[in-house]
Amino acid sequence: MKAFQYATAYSPASARELVGDQGAYIAGGNDLLSLLKDYLASPDTLVNIKSLPGLNTVERGEKSWKIGSLVTIAQLENDPEVKRVFPGLNDAAAEIASLQIRNVATVGGNLAQHSRCWYFRHPDVPCLKKHGGLCYARNSENRYHSLFSGNDCISPVVSSLATTFAALDATAVVLRDGQELRWNMAALYEEAWKNPYAHNSLKPGDLIVRVEIPTVRSRSAYMQVSDKHTFDWALVSCAAAAEVVDGKLKSPRVALGSISPRPHEVAAANDFLDGKVLDDSVAEHAAEMIMRDARPFEFNGYKIPMARALIRRTLLKLKGDA
Amino acid sequence: MPSWPTETKYISHPTTRIDGAAKVTGNARYSSDIQAEGWLYGMILRSKWPAAKITGVNLDQARKMPGIKAAVLVRDLPFTVRFYGEEIAAVAGVSKQACQDALRVIAVTAEEQPFAVRENDAKKPDAPRVWQNGPNYVEPKPHERGDVDAAFGKCAAVIEGFYTTPVQIHNPMETHGNTVSWTDDGVTAWSSTQGISSVRDGLAGSLRLEHSKVRVITDFMGGGFGAKFGAGVEGMLAAKLSQQAKAPVRLMLTRFDQNLAVGNRPSSFQKIKLGAAADGTLLAFEMNNYGTAGIGAGSNQGGGGGGADIPAPYLYKVGSSRVSQAAVAVNAGSSRAFRAPGNPPASFGMESALDDLAVKLGMDPLELRLKNDPNPVRQREYKLGAEKFGWKQKYRKPGSSPGVIKTGIGCAASAWPAGGPSRNTHGEAQINPDGSIEFRLGVQDIGTGTKTVIAVVAAEMLKLKPEQITVKVGDTRFPPGPGSGGSTTCASISPTVYDICEKALDQLQTLSGIADARGENWFAACKKIGVNPLLVSGKWIEGLSSNPAGGVQFAEVEVDTETGLVTVKKMLGVHDCGLLIDTLTLESQINGGIIMGMGYALYEERVMDDLSGVVLNPNFETYKLPGIADVPEIEVVLINMPERGVIGIGEPATVPTAGAIGNAVANALGVRIGSLPITPAKVLAALGKVPNVHA
Repeated sequence: MKAFQYATAYSPASARELVGDQGAYIAGGNDLLSLLKDYLASPDTLVNIKSLPGLNTVERGEKSWKIGSLVTIAQLENDPEVKRVFPGLNDAAAEIASLQIRNVATVGGNLAQHSRCWYFRHPDVPCLKKHGGLCYARNSENRYHSLFSGNDCISPVVSSLATTFAALDATAVVLRDGQELRWNMAALYEEAWKNPYAHNSLKPGDLIVRVEIPTVRSRSAYMQVSDKHTFDWALVSCAAAAEVVDGKLKSPRVALGSISPRPHEVAAANDFLDGKVLDDSVAEHAAEMIMRDARPFEFNGYKIPMARALIRRTLLKLKGDA
Repeated sequence: MPSWPTETKYISHPTTRIDGAAKVTGNARYSSDIQAEGWLYGMILRSKWPAAKITGVNLDQARKMPGIKAAVLVRDLPFTVRFYGEEIAAVAGVSKQACQDALRVIAVTAEEQPFAVRENDAKKPDAPRVWQNGPNYVEPKPHERGDVDAAFGKCAAVIEGFYTTPVQIHNPMETHGNTVSWTDDGVTAWSSTQGISSVRDGLAGSLRLEHSKVRVITDFMGGGFGAKFGAGVEGMLAAKLSQQAKAPVRLMLTRFDQNLAVGNRPSSFQKIKLGAAADGTLLAFEMNNYGTAGIGAGSNQGGGGGGADIPAPYLYKVGSSRVSQAAVAVNAGSSRAFRAPGNPPASFGMESALDDLAVKLGMDPLELRLKNDPNPVRQREYKLGAEKFGWKQKYRKPGSSPGVIKTGIGCAASAWPAGGPSRNTHGEAQINPDGSIEFRLGVQDIGTGTKTVIAVVAAEMLKLKPEQITVKVGDTRFPPGPGSGGSTTCASISPTVYDICEKALDQLQTLSGIADARGENWFAACKKIGVNPLLVSGKWIEGLSSNPAGGVQFAEVEVDTETGLVTVKKMLGVHDCGLLIDTLTLESQINGGIIMGMGYALYEERVMDDLSGVVLNPNFETYKLPGIADVPEIEVVLINMPERGVIGIGEPATVPTAGAIGNAVANALGVRIGSLPITPAKVLAALGKVPNVHA
């Protein structure tokens, strides 16, 4: 990696000042250090944000929870209150990487992590995302890639928290030059959808400070399928959340990961599910709606039936014991 | 004739590794832990091109970088590189970062050339040539035994199938590498190797030194699986760097490097036709197979040729056969011997075909095997295994498992023709007047428990405890022994230790006048040795070892027909290897073989990109290996056959796993997935659930 300055920030303002235009924030460092080692990112300054006050706490409001961006994945996995209020979030946290990584990886880092596309990560392939001329994946090995994209790059978002937050209609609060921006997941990844060079909408110096999750959806679920049984990226992930009133879904939301540069959501399917009593055929119909416009490439067509199965199963999990 | 003791305390019983504590506490010093006085890091500059003529390499800038002490070219300019990752130059410096920085300022001038990295592309007559003086692939001549066409005419059932296996990369826990110190007195190399003698001879040859001027040391090493017999280009470069820097150089490959250049198992594309009489007797077999050994295919013939052939028809007796196979050269790292070379792909193809034939015949696949396996030991193993596994209770017609998550079972067998001894195995023991004893053998423990085997045999012979035996291996100054490959080490060293012990007891008897110096008399007898220790030399002797070994394995799987995920629920292995020495390290070897076979069945695959020519998955993120959550209950059943003497087990343990798992998946689904690894994507495709897309 290239040499860099290192500084610890004690306030968001000083963090912003220290990071400048060419720096990077570091918390758990899981993604950043690998980007540095592979020369995929070479910031001039690393700003340690682990000492920023108030970002490693979970505030449990009645209507909404505020999860600080420095909260670790392991905290989400091990907190019984998270399991009770947001079981889907708890399940998603438990599926992430390995225990060692979950112990240090943070919510903010999980959301901000960069593409896992094997062309992007390869030191000697000048792919589109690295400002080369060509998306290799489109034309060659695309088994792990997107079924949807708004641009020529087909590397998908792989953050399972983003998938789950999308289903829970959570808001990421981003600090930009002292101003708080409030983005839902679609907005957080909107730039990745449109722009092949981006992997999220964050600009240099932007800092995710917390995620706010409304508690109104008392049921939530998350499922993923990987090649392996643990410590492997999802081939497809799916999260669903809703309130269930008199056996009927209220404000249901479904989101999928690893098939699009942003969490894949279809508003029409959410509308369709609203007020429905869940059964196999309702879930199947929603799955069909959500995957209808998928555009598979040579080697990722399997993600369509896999996603449909996951949507069905995740939705049916919302029924719980009720 | 010598014979093994019949009543034993340690042989055929479990003994914990004598170096287990050192390993788990971090006290064991592996080759990658060596820190010789004043040592430097070494690092390799590799080709960014899958094929190119290298016309210029400027090392001046690199030499001027802070902390850099040496920079060398791999060979004189100009030269050709034939795969992404081929070595070009190397630097030595005071830190990894210094080396990395230096590599990045080396300017390389290259004339890029067209390349082919996939078997099917490289096979075409107009494909870019990997080796300029010959085509990548030459249509092979068939080898025919009997009248195959007539035999097919007599078959009651014939199947045709296409079975493919990927390139599997050697990924031992410890990467390839050495620390090399080259001084006026000669070369000392601390090598991560399976063959200290072959590394010594290879290094001496490439450095033009007398063999006696090179010493190779391997105290502990983290696995090789066939890819670590030579010093390699990386060893030669470390030596040159050491000579130039006048300091020891540690050059261990990165995991990225490991996946490019230092070995793999060739792929196979097996078109098999198999036919049997109505009673299941196999009458005719035809196979057309090709695979790639990377640039290793045909380098000596100047074009396509050998390097990827597999034994066929594998293991079972077939009346007539016609086999054509050849390797296709591609621009990728060369294959090397890989745990039971040729056998896992051969087993997967044959065992899959056999099950497909069983379906057509309406026979239980186990019955079909019993009908056609000529080996009496395996007959016994199949019957024993089937009973322990509950084959009869569990077996269902293919695809008849109810529900979304279907269960299935399968079995397969292995034959390993080697596993016998190397006759040129020597050793010595130094017995001290205080009764302590040290064995020294010029072999190496590649993680399989070689040191423990020596201690177990010696303890048995001398009626001492294994922990009383000091064992030293892994130094070319010790009496020479063979490389650890082909499952030969155990059968080589056990008779050698036996011989040393017998001679030691003879001499102790003479010296001490005590008729039986073993056990409780040991210390009294040793006291009479006098001031100078007793040094006893011995060598491998006839009659205590043999070959071959084999085994059968059973697999039970669950397949989720909606997500395609395969979960192995149970593996059972029944294996023979003659006289069992240490049943604990033996079970451990079989567990490891089965887990490696699971990787071959379900996860591992080198992915080449045809646009850029690079290996796309040179890391453990996307070159997937089984993790602990993927590994099921493994039951190992050992057949002890003392009358056969000692036989090795390393390779046969990994041979049949993929065949058994593949058959279990086919049994669950009622559809064959003939292509390894069996991923969720392939399961869903085989079930007809994936929409067709034209690229």
